[in-house]
Amino acid sequence: MSAAVTAPVASNSGAASRSASTARRYGTFAARRTGQALVVIVLCYVLVFLVLAAIPGDPISAQLDNPEAGYSDAEKAQIRSFYGLDRPVLLQLLISLGNALQGRLGISLSTSQAVTEMITTAIPSTLALAATALVLAVLLAALLGLLSQRLPQGRLNSLVRSLPTLFLSTPNFLIGLVLIQVLAVQLGAFSLVDSESVGSTLVASLTLAIPVSAQIAQVFITALDESAGQDYAEVALARGLPPTQVVLRHLLRPSLLPTVTVVGLVIGEVLGGSLITETIFGRAGIGTLVQKAVAAQDVPVLLVTVVLSAAVFVVVNLVIDLLYPLLDPRLRGAEAAR
Amino acid sequence: MSRPGSGRSVARPAPTRRHLLQALGAGSLGLAALPLAGCALEGASAESTDEDELTFLISNLDGGWVPSKSAISSYEANVWQQLTDKLVHTDPEGTVTPWIASSWEQNEDSTEFLLHLRDGVTFSDGTPVDAEAVVANLQSWALGRPEEGIARVGLFPGGTYDGAEAAGRLSVRVSFTAPTLSFLPTLGYHGCLLLSPASIAASLEEQSDLAVQIGSGPFVLDTWAASDHVRLVRREDYDWAPEVLGASGPAGLAAITFTVLPDDSLRASAARARQTDLSYNVNPQVLDSFTDAGFTLEVPRYLGFVHGYSLRTNVAPFDDVRVRRAVTRGIDRAEILRTVFTDAWEPATSWLQTGVPETTDLTELFSYDPDLASRLLDEAGWTARTADGFRAKDGVELGFTLYPTPYLTGSVPEAELISQHLKRIGIRVSTQKLDIPTWTERVTNDPTQGVAEVTRSFVDVGTVAGVITGEGEDWFAVGSSDPVLEDLRDGVAGAASRAERAGLVEDLSRHVLEQAYFIPLEQNVQRIYVQSPQLRDISFNAVAIPSYHATTKEAA
Repeated sequence: MSAAVTAPVASNSGAASRSASTARRYGTFAARRTGQALVVIVLCYVLVFLVLAAIPGDPISAQLDNPEAGYSDAEKAQIRSFYGLDRPVLLQLLISLGNALQGRLGISLSTSQAVTEMITTAIPSTLALAATALVLAVLLAALLGLLSQRLPQGRLNSLVRSLPTLFLSTPNFLIGLVLIQVLAVQLGAFSLVDSESVGSTLVASLTLAIPVSAQIAQVFITALDESAGQDYAEVALARGLPPTQVVLRHLLRPSLLPTVTVVGLVIGEVLGGSLITETIFGRAGIGTLVQKAVAAQDVPVLLVTVVLSAAVFVVVNLVIDLLYPLLDPRLRGAEAAR
Repeated sequence: MSRPGSGRSVARPAPTRRHLLQALGAGSLGLAALPLAGCALEGASAESTDEDELTFLISNLDGGWVPSKSAISSYEANVWQQLTDKLVHTDPEGTVTPWIASSWEQNEDSTEFLLHLRDGVTFSDGTPVDAEAVVANLQSWALGRPEEGIARVGLFPGGTYDGAEAAGRLSVRVSFTAPTLSFLPTLGYHGCLLLSPASIAASLEEQSDLAVQIGSGPFVLDTWAASDHVRLVRREDYDWAPEVLGASGPAGLAAITFTVLPDDSLRASAARARQTDLSYNVNPQVLDSFTDAGFTLEVPRYLGFVHGYSLRTNVAPFDDVRVRRAVTRGIDRAEILRTVFTDAWEPATSWLQTGVPETTDLTELFSYDPDLASRLLDEAGWTARTADGFRAKDGVELGFTLYPTPYLTGSVPEAELISQHLKRIGIRVSTQKLDIPTWTERVTNDPTQGVAEVTRSFVDVGTVAGVITGEGEDWFAVGSSDPVLEDLRDGVAGAASRAERAGLVEDLSRHVLEQAYFIPLEQNVQRIYVQSPQLRDISFNAVAIPSYHATTKEAA
């Protein structure tokens, strides 16, 4: 997210050509932003590659050195050379980067599977978890936000307002362990073995959604409170409009913009959280893939998964940045002028 | 055959509005509402599946499916064993019996072998298991294709391998450049699995797809998804199980599903919730709770070295035989068995597992004797004491670091206990836990590290000759400085008959233990199976890999 929103308005050209020139400027802005995003992704690739190269050891040597294997040094050297691990690091980086730019992501050092295939196999699982969690989180936040406005001042209202803090301070894995113990072990309500079943996915998503919803709820409640203090809300109430109508018709709309921004931001949170959640529930998603690649020093897999996560984050931010001027007319000139 | 990934239930039904609301209710109303929401969730069952299907929970199947890489893994081997056959069967006592090779002959000095194959055996794609196919397999076990990234099978005697050729439609001649007694038993080793010639010829990347691996075993692949599951189904025309397994014809079970569940406690929870028939590798310290709950516990021992420490004799303080003897005498192995493991573990009687046919009981050479240990250290001059009470000599404290092997469950608490035992006789032992790559780097490949923890299986005792001196892996860093050891090594390696070799193995073991080059701890158990008592007739081979061909499952 950038500071573009607060940039000074500088567009002041003639009315006739204004629309055409705005569109042109927006095009330049969009192209520049996209270019920046691509550079960030490539830099991320290089950085991750170099960091991984700095760590001693590699999985091929570790496998060949496995005490059960019994290979000679010459055999180990031959296999290492097949993987190009005997080349200088910078050359390895150039080759790897060149291949990646051509869409060739290599094969995993530990399973020999194509990295592309491993990732496309893992994505649906993570997507199901993350999307369900995001929906649950938004619903949960919406519920808390609306309750905070509709419940009369008192203990119950304070409880609702303090729930986000509670959610935020409860670690994800603790929620997961409690849910597993109660729902799966005590009640047998969902399968631990079939981690991709609807029941398991729902429980895993809930584990992830609870802390994520807290951030959305906090912003939503604050925004609603702020709108409620505005003149138009008080006027609406004074005109005798039922409070629920006031919330839905007058408070909701202005509170949505900051809330949507937060939802965009928590996507990163959801991706990060899904790593832990996948591990707790034994799901075979991207998070698990990253975790295993780290443990096995599986560089090609790690590289692609980390860059992919970074790319998702960069793209989400890019989309939001590009959308702002389109959503809010006041920002159009400002964005285009930068 | 299906592609990887296709096995996962791709068409996951979208959560319905009702479910979402229930789950939402549970979250917002707190734990009190959980049971309510839980009861309404569908698609879960507390009971394990059908009577003729085995469900198997495993911590990982991450090694991939390139056979030369993963067939010897203690994880993937569980799957390979059901999908493929071997030329011979080697049982936990090292006895070799026919399987796909129905008989064999060998010349007097064990350099040439003639294998006769069983007729009528086919791979699941219909290709016959004939001399041509077996030659292709032998070539790939012995040589691999390292220039294409495909390693040979590590323990196959590739060093003396000369070649293999078809001597008829169903007989194969294999020759070696030197006596190779280990050849026949090694054919029963888990790395030597028979695959169709097409599978062997596939590239490294193609081989990573389990669907490409066509075996002749009692089960065939149904579906698999990386890091998620492998499902096998019975092969109906299977009729060539090794006789010793006691069942013929197709397998008793219709299907086996291996599900990956990496978290130890989750596998234990799933077993307790009766959601699985079999849980693999549960922490030994929680095993009692499973036996109390009526589960069957299998801790098969394999042929190989016992679990222990090999010492590098060129690294202080192990350069002094008195210190080495003191360490081995200072370890209370009975207490380790009592506290770290369960009754299913057995004490070491030598540096070789008791199943190895040539093993003799040499316990008296390393049994617990702290007084003797203290005397030895006094003799060695470690008589001064540091402020912490540890022994010292010339201002140097007596001590070393143990890095518990990441390959063995229970290794960490064991190292901590040993550190307490040795503290009693004045040796400071610190312990540090490492992950596999770091461990390899810091322990296995570091010649300045004095202690290397050993957990290695083999199917033939000939292997020991290759590990002990400078001509082999030089476990004890003796190089060629110990002529007695070298003589014994040559004797064991070059023996042409098993009877002659047995005496030499005893002499060798006695020498290794007297010199305290190797510190035995307990008999190695690397695989722990927590099983439902409904399962019958599971057998294990020489390397403790289960076979489910004869297995049946009783109604609950």
